[in-house]
Amino acid sequence: MRIAVCVKQAVDEGELRLDSEGSPVLSGAATKMSTFDKNGVEEAVRKKSEAGGEVVVFTAGPQDAKRTMKEALAMGADRGVHVVVGSEDQDALLTSYLLSRAIKASGHFDLVITSEGSSDTYTGLVGPMLAEWLSLPFIGYVRKIELRGPAVTAERALEDTVEVVEAALPVVVSVVSEINEPRYPTLIQIMQAGKKQIEELRAESLLDGAPKVGSKVLGMKAQSVARKKVIFEGDPQDVARKLVESLRAEGVLKR
Amino acid sequence: MKEIWVYSESAPVSNELATAASELARVPGWRAVVLELDSPRDGVFSPSGKLVLRAESRIAGSADTAAHAIVEAATKLEPVAILVGSTRLGRELAARLAVRLGRGCLSEAFDLSTDGAYLSGKRYVYAGRVVASVSAPVPCIATVKLGSYSQLADGSSEADEMHVGGAGAGLKVLDVRRKQASAVDLKSAKVIVSAGRGIRKKEDLELIEKLASAVGGAVGCSRPLSSDLGWLPEEHHIGLTGVTVHPDLYLAVGISGQLQHVAGIKDSKVIAAINSDRDAPIFQASDYGAVGDLYKIVPEMLKILSGS
Amino acid sequence: MKLFSREHAQLLKENYPSHEEYEALLSSLSSFLEERVMPLSHSFDSSSASLSSARRELMQKGICQIAYPEEYGGLSLPFGVYCAAMELVGSADASIALSVGIHNTAAEGIFQFGSDYLKSEFLPDILSGKKIAAFCLTEPTSGSDAKSMATKARRSGGEYVINGSKMFITNAGEADAYLVFAATEHGHSCFLVEKSTPGLEFGEDIQKLGMRGTRTSEVRFVDCRVPATMLVGREGIGFEYAKALLNGSRIVMGSICVGIARTAFEKALDYSRKRRSFGKPISDFQLTREKIADMKTAITAGRLLCMHASRLKEMGEEFSSEASQAKVFSTEMSLMVCDAAIQLFGGYGYTDEDVHRHWRDARLLTIGEGTSEVLRMLIASKELARSL
Repeated sequence: MRIAVCVKQAVDEGELRLDSEGSPVLSGAATKMSTFDKNGVEEAVRKKSEAGGEVVVFTAGPQDAKRTMKEALAMGADRGVHVVVGSEDQDALLTSYLLSRAIKASGHFDLVITSEGSSDTYTGLVGPMLAEWLSLPFIGYVRKIELRGPAVTAERALEDTVEVVEAALPVVVSVVSEINEPRYPTLIQIMQAGKKQIEELRAESLLDGAPKVGSKVLGMKAQSVARKKVIFEGDPQDVARKLVESLRAEGVLKR
Repeated sequence: MKEIWVYSESAPVSNELATAASELARVPGWRAVVLELDSPRDGVFSPSGKLVLRAESRIAGSADTAAHAIVEAATKLEPVAILVGSTRLGRELAARLAVRLGRGCLSEAFDLSTDGAYLSGKRYVYAGRVVASVSAPVPCIATVKLGSYSQLADGSSEADEMHVGGAGAGLKVLDVRRKQASAVDLKSAKVIVSAGRGIRKKEDLELIEKLASAVGGAVGCSRPLSSDLGWLPEEHHIGLTGVTVHPDLYLAVGISGQLQHVAGIKDSKVIAAINSDRDAPIFQASDYGAVGDLYKIVPEMLKILSGS
Repeated sequence: MKLFSREHAQLLKENYPSHEEYEALLSSLSSFLEERVMPLSHSFDSSSASLSSARRELMQKGICQIAYPEEYGGLSLPFGVYCAAMELVGSADASIALSVGIHNTAAEGIFQFGSDYLKSEFLPDILSGKKIAAFCLTEPTSGSDAKSMATKARRSGGEYVINGSKMFITNAGEADAYLVFAATEHGHSCFLVEKSTPGLEFGEDIQKLGMRGTRTSEVRFVDCRVPATMLVGREGIGFEYAKALLNGSRIVMGSICVGIARTAFEKALDYSRKRRSFGKPISDFQLTREKIADMKTAITAGRLLCMHASRLKEMGEEFSSEASQAKVFSTEMSLMVCDAAIQLFGGYGYTDEDVHRHWRDARLLTIGEGTSEVLRMLIASKELARSL
C-alpha cells in the first residue's frame, strides 16, 4: 500500500514573539511540526505496518522545512518529497496545488492523509482542496480509518453527528487528533531518519496550471486581551470565598 | 446586479451569513442572496431573496454534491462572493468551490468589508494570539467564523429556483449516529465549568459536575480529557479544534491554559481559573485566578454556594 | 520552557561537523522531556509519584545509548553530545538525570572493563533500560578516602564471597545490577552483582535534602556469593577502574548541574519580568540585572568547561583535570545560580518547592562523585607535578 502524508512546518505559536508595535516577529520564529500533522504521520505509519507498503511524506515550504520532514521520517515514513517554496505568500489554494503536483509526480498512492488543519493558521481547506486537485474522494475529520481491501471505512466527526462512510481507494482523508496518540521516535530512529531520502522539487517549476488568484495577508497584529488578571492565593477557604465574591460582583453567578 | 451568495447547511449559521451579506450589500449594485439546496427551509431568512437549487437527486448533505450544484449555478450567474459558514462541512464545501471556480478563499473570516474590487476581513491566527487582515480579489469565496454575526431573524421570502444537473457521487454513508446531545449545548451556554489535567482521575469529574450544577453551568474540558484520556466525549472539548464558546462565565479548573485551549474561550465575558501552578498560562488569560489545590478550593466553593 | 536552545545549537555547530543531525536528536529529546518529564518534576520532589515509569520511557527513547557503539544498540555519538543531552535531562528533572547518570556510569564500567560474557549478557538490557544499574563505591565510613573501604571480597573456589556495606547508593533496591567495588587479596576489585543474589540486602530509603525522586539507601553484603564470572576486568586493579569511570561521570554531573542552574535561571528571568515593585518590573533594577548577567555567564562557562572536557575524552587525551575543573565549577556555580533565583523570587523563592527544589537538588553534587575538596586536590597536584 502506498500512503502519502502531508506535513507543515508551522510557527510554534507558544514561542512567538511580538515586536514593539505588537506585530508578530515571523522571520526567524521558532517552528515545529504542525500539531495535528503528527497524528497524520502516526496514522500513515500504523496503516503501513498493517498493510505493508511505503509512506512518503510531502511538504510545501521553505528550505528549512526539512527539519519537520526528518521528524516524520523518524516516526516511520520511508522517504520525503519537499516542494521548496521561495516566497512567504502561500495560501491554502497554492499550497494544496503544489502538494497535488508533487504527489502526482511521485506515483500512485492508495491513501493521502492530511490533518484537519494547521496549528498556526488553521483554515481546514488544504485537505479538501488537495482532493479536488487530485480528483479523488475526500473524507474529512476522520477519527478512525479501517482498511478493507480495495476500500476504506472511516468514521468522520461532524458537529452533531458521526458518520460511518465507505469509499473505494484511492482516497484523501483529513484526520482529527482523536484518531491516535502519536509516537515519540527513539534517538536511534532520529539518527536513522538522517539517512532516508528527501527529494526536492522547486515550486517555480510547478507553477504551470497553478491558480492565478488567491487570498493575501495584509498585516498582523497581536490580539490584545485585556483581562483583569487578579490573583488570589493562600488559604483555600479564603481563596474560594474571594473568588465567589468577585464572580458575584461581576454578575455572572446566579446566586 | 451583483450577487453575494451565502450558504450553510445549518439554518442559524445561514442567518448569520445573511447578516454579513446584507452589510456587504451596502456597496451599490450588490445584493445578498441566500442559497438553499433542494428546498427552502423555514427559519432561514434573507434580506433580499433566496435562490433554490434543485436537481434530480438530493444535493444537500454532501459537500461534493453541494459543490457540484453551486459551481454550475455560479458559472452561469457569476456571484461576486460566496460566503459559507465555517462548519466542518462548510469548510469542505468552500475548498471545493475555490478550486473548481478558480477563486481565492478567505477562511475563518469576520469583520468583512469590500471596496467592490476586493473582499477584506480579519481572521485569528497563531492559536488566537494574532489578528490578521486578509483580502482576496472579487469574485471570491469566504468561510465565515461562526458566531461573528448576529442571526437575521426576519426577511424576504422571495425565492428563485434553478434547476441544476445533479451529480457528484458523495460518499457511501453506512451509518449516521447523533453525538450524545450534551445536556446543555456548550456553544450557547451562559456558564461553563471546564476540567483539565489537574483532575487526577475520571471519578473526580464528579466534583466538576457538582460545581457546574451549583453555578448553573455546562461542563466542558480541555483537549487531553476528551482526546487523550477519553474521560468526556469529544463534544465537550473546548479549544481551537473543539468548540468555541462565549459564555458570561468560563471557569477553568485544573487547566494550564495552553493557547490551543484559550483560543476557544477568548470571547467569554469573564474568565476565572483554579490551578496549583502560579505560572500556569491560564492566569494570563483570566480575570480572576485562584492559585491552589482544586481539590480543596472547589469543595470550599461548593460550601459557599450552597450555604447562601 | 524550550529546553533545546540557540546556545545549544551554537555549541554543537562550533564543535561538530554533523551538528545538524545532533540538533535534530536533541530537539526531539527536548520535546519529549518538556511534555513527559518536566510536568512531573514537582511530584517526584514531593514523592507523590515515582519517577520509574518516566525513567523507563526516557531510557526506551535511547538516552543511555547515545555514546555506545552500534553493536550494543548504541548510536556511536560523541561523548559531548551525551553530556549535552544530560544537561537537558537535568533541566527537565534533576532526580531523573541523577538516576540515569549513575546508571550509565555503571554501564560504562561493564562496557570498558567487563568480559565479553558480561557485556553480551548485561549491556544491551542496561542500555535499553530493561535493567537498571547502580554504582557502589561509597561506604558508611569511607567516601573521599575510597581506598580505605571495608567491604571485602574473598575468593572461594569458583565464587567470591562479599561482605560489607555501601552507603548513599542511588537506585538502590530498584536496580537489577550493581557495580560493586570491594577490597580483595591484592588491591581492589570490581564485581557485577545481580539483585536476586542471596546475601544482598537493602536499607530503608534515606530522606534527603534534594534529589528526592531518586531512591537512595545502604546496600549490604552478607556472605553474598557471586560466581567468579561476575568479576569485572582483572582482580586487584578495581580502584583504577573506579577512577577512570569517575572521570567521565564527573563531566556528566557537571552537565546536570548546568541544566539545573539553567531551569532555575529561566524561571527567575521570567518572574523578574512579571513581578512589579515600586511601579516597575523588578527586571528594571540594576541589582536584578547584575544577578541576571552573572547567572547567565556562569551557566555558559559551566557548559563550556563540560564540553571542553568531553572533547578531550572523545579525542583520547588525558582529561581528568579538565573533568574535575568542569565539575567543581559547574556544581558550585549552580548553587550560586539557584540561590540567586531564590533571592529574586523573594518570599516565594523560600516557600515554593518549584523554586527552591533546584538549589536542594544541586546541593548534592559538590559532595557526590568526588567532593569539590578532593577534586581541587587533584587539579592542584596535576599542576604542581607539571612544573617538576
